[in-house]
Amino acid sequence: MFSRPCRLGNSALVRLAGLCVLIGVGLATAGGDADLMERLAGERFGTSGTASVRAWRQMIADALPLDDLEKLQRTNTFFNRRIRFDDDAAIWEEADYWATPLETLGREAGDCEDFSIAKYMSLRLLGIPADKLRLIYVRAQLGGAQNGLSQAHMVVGFYPSPHAEPLVLDNLIGEVRPAGRRPDLLPIFSFNSAGLWIGGATASSADPTTRLSRWRSVLVRMQQEGLQ
Amino acid sequence: MSLIKQLWIAIAIVMSLSLGGSLVVSTLSARHYLEQQLQVKNLDNATSLALALSQLPKDPVTVELQVAAQFDAGHYRLIRLTGPSGDVVIEREYAGPRNGAPDWFSRLIPIEARPGVAQVQDGWHQFGTLTLESHKRYAYDALWVGTKQLLLWFGLGGALTGLIGTLIIKHITRPLRQVVEQAEAIGERRFVTTPEPGTMEFRRLVRAMNTLSERVRTMLADESRRLEQLRRQTQHDDITGLLNRDQFMNRLDSVLARDDARSAGTLLIARLGDLAALNQHLGRETTNRLLRDIAAQYAAFAVPHGDWEAGRIGSSDFALLAPGQRDPAAIASELAQRLDTALNVTAEGRGIRLPLAAGAFAAGESRSSLLARVDSALAVAERAGERAIEIATESTTALPFPDPQAWRTALTESLERNDIRLARFPVLGPDGTLLHYEAPMRLMLDGTWQSAGYFMPWVARLGLAARFDAAVARLAMRETATSATPLGINISAESLADASFRSELFTLLQGNPAAAQRLWIEVPEYGALLHQPEFRAFCLALRPFGCKLGIEHAGPRFARLNDLHELGLDYIKIDAALIHGIDSDASSQGFLRSLCTIAHSIGLLTIAEGVGTEAEKRALPAFGVDAMTGPTIEAPQPLQASPAPGAVRL
Repeated sequence: MFSRPCRLGNSALVRLAGLCVLIGVGLATAGGDADLMERLAGERFGTSGTASVRAWRQMIADALPLDDLEKLQRTNTFFNRRIRFDDDAAIWEEADYWATPLETLGREAGDCEDFSIAKYMSLRLLGIPADKLRLIYVRAQLGGAQNGLSQAHMVVGFYPSPHAEPLVLDNLIGEVRPAGRRPDLLPIFSFNSAGLWIGGATASSADPTTRLSRWRSVLVRMQQEGLQ
Repeated sequence: MSLIKQLWIAIAIVMSLSLGGSLVVSTLSARHYLEQQLQVKNLDNATSLALALSQLPKDPVTVELQVAAQFDAGHYRLIRLTGPSGDVVIEREYAGPRNGAPDWFSRLIPIEARPGVAQVQDGWHQFGTLTLESHKRYAYDALWVGTKQLLLWFGLGGALTGLIGTLIIKHITRPLRQVVEQAEAIGERRFVTTPEPGTMEFRRLVRAMNTLSERVRTMLADESRRLEQLRRQTQHDDITGLLNRDQFMNRLDSVLARDDARSAGTLLIARLGDLAALNQHLGRETTNRLLRDIAAQYAAFAVPHGDWEAGRIGSSDFALLAPGQRDPAAIASELAQRLDTALNVTAEGRGIRLPLAAGAFAAGESRSSLLARVDSALAVAERAGERAIEIATESTTALPFPDPQAWRTALTESLERNDIRLARFPVLGPDGTLLHYEAPMRLMLDGTWQSAGYFMPWVARLGLAARFDAAVARLAMRETATSATPLGINISAESLADASFRSELFTLLQGNPAAAQRLWIEVPEYGALLHQPEFRAFCLALRPFGCKLGIEHAGPRFARLNDLHELGLDYIKIDAALIHGIDSDASSQGFLRSLCTIAHSIGLLTIAEGVGTEAEKRALPAFGVDAMTGPTIEAPQPLQASPAPGAVRL
């Protein structure tokens, strides 16, 4: 649906080392204060923001009783349709900005990380355990497998079982497909929250290392916005 | 507990609280920092190893080499790779001993850094989960060394602060110590002033104390002045300012009854011829001026000697009482010469008749006998010429030793034989309680016990006073050491000025502090006046021993003692001359009352000497006298040792 790939920040992969392990901080127990999110969206982004969040809530509520595959499809479709792809520079006037789901919904725009984060968080809210989910850095082959043009990109992977092939949620191709049917994507590295923080310790905004990490700051902001 | 000690404890508590608190805080924050660093290192290293593994071929040898290389080259406690279903693929664990920081320290302040976890990918498939844990040994070591250093610095800082604090406290409380000393001095009725310190509270305190001290001092000075005024009014002749007849006779009685070195002396009387004719001839004004000129010579002659007295004992009779002076001819000619010089300045003076007679007296002679002898000599002089001098015949009392050398031999022999004892005369309060026994010396001379008045004039004249006083002090210390009865001893004026005697006395008192407490040491008023600096030093030196210190034969000159209130005296014995006839003499009563008031205001007990009649004894307490001694004062119970035979007392 979206013809342009996501462009990761220059040093995104390097920074990833510090970030990937932090993902579990806010996500170990998914849940949230949707009313707070809705109110904040209204305050920050006006009626369109409120409408987006309301639609997102409706989608979550509708998908909750469905099976895993349908949850994936609903979520993927919701964001791919609702959110317009754009560069961070155009949306946030920053070279590389990781937006929270609320911000993505409020602006109704985002780049590949914003899509992936929003999908990941929605799936967590829908009750899919973290160890079945991965945020995966991939090299995307543009314009077909034979074309030399490639781009850094991020997708969400779903592993029905530990040894299985993952299902890929992407914004380049709107359909949820098994990894085998995505020859245009070459996986580089993945991260998730499984087994990271035993005991459920949570990140705190008072921890000075939090601010060093783009991903962790997203998590903290999410928490402040009512998404845990 | 002293203030300084309490301040010290307060400082110590505050210091250990603050230093201990900051030690705990900095150790904990160091631990927190180390934990964060370790954790970031765990996470970052796990991620980079997982990233590297994800890119490499996944054959077991490559994976194991990769993990082993990371483990062996780095500082890790554990690196473990588990498969997607939880089975351990490879594990490296450090099993070596953990040294450095002691175990108790690691247990007390545990460093808890969570292991780093990252996912290893094999294409789209999961390959495993990597768990990585850094070794904490170096963190414990760093924390341990840091804590030790901190402790050392805090220890040094604490010691330094304590040192500086002590100095500051000392500096701050120095004025406090002075104030305490001043307060104690006021408690002892010494009115000293202290320089004002810088600290505001202390300055106000010191100022208040100084004001108090000064006010009391001024009050006492006023009172002394008033006393002196009163005394002059009642005891002195209006025109000449010399003692009047009554007072002079009282002094004479008192001297004759004395039991010390000054009980012998000379009485000298000059008689202005035909006063009535002079009055008529020259007029009252000129006559009075003449009288005053004569009186001035008498006074000038007497004053340097301390206890010499000049009096106008009749309208035309001028008398001089010179205790301790045994050569009547010498002072008669000296006084006559001074009178001549003074009178011959004016024509009226040159014309007047002023015959003079002098007579020596010794202890025990009655006043009437002495006056009779001098009177008859004066009659001879009157017949002999205008300015004739006549020496009265010696008293009929036979002298046991013909010359000074014989006296010296006899006295030193008796002293060396230790033929001395102490008499006992009680000093009682109005209700009969015993203050102490006066213990004058008795000496065996020629087989009889002689009273001090008999031999002391010779002792003084021969310069033996210090030796005799020392003997008395030794004996008194021996007696107070074995009995609980307090004893009073006299120190003569000559001994007061004798350094070797003073040091011997101090040694004696130091030897038995308990016995020294029961010793009442008194110095005659004239001695204290003559040797004021020595007396002052003597008083200050004696104070620590706890013995009582007093002035005997205190009289009109008492108030002349400088800084009396600073000396720390305990009592005064008021001269018999003041006590005599106190029941009927209104002028003396007023004076005595004021004297007692002054004495009480500076914390002195007042003791009346020579109480001779029941009437005096009954009257005295009303004037503020605290205790009495004299012929009518008897011991409450029979004495163990009866007084020496022949002892003569007031």
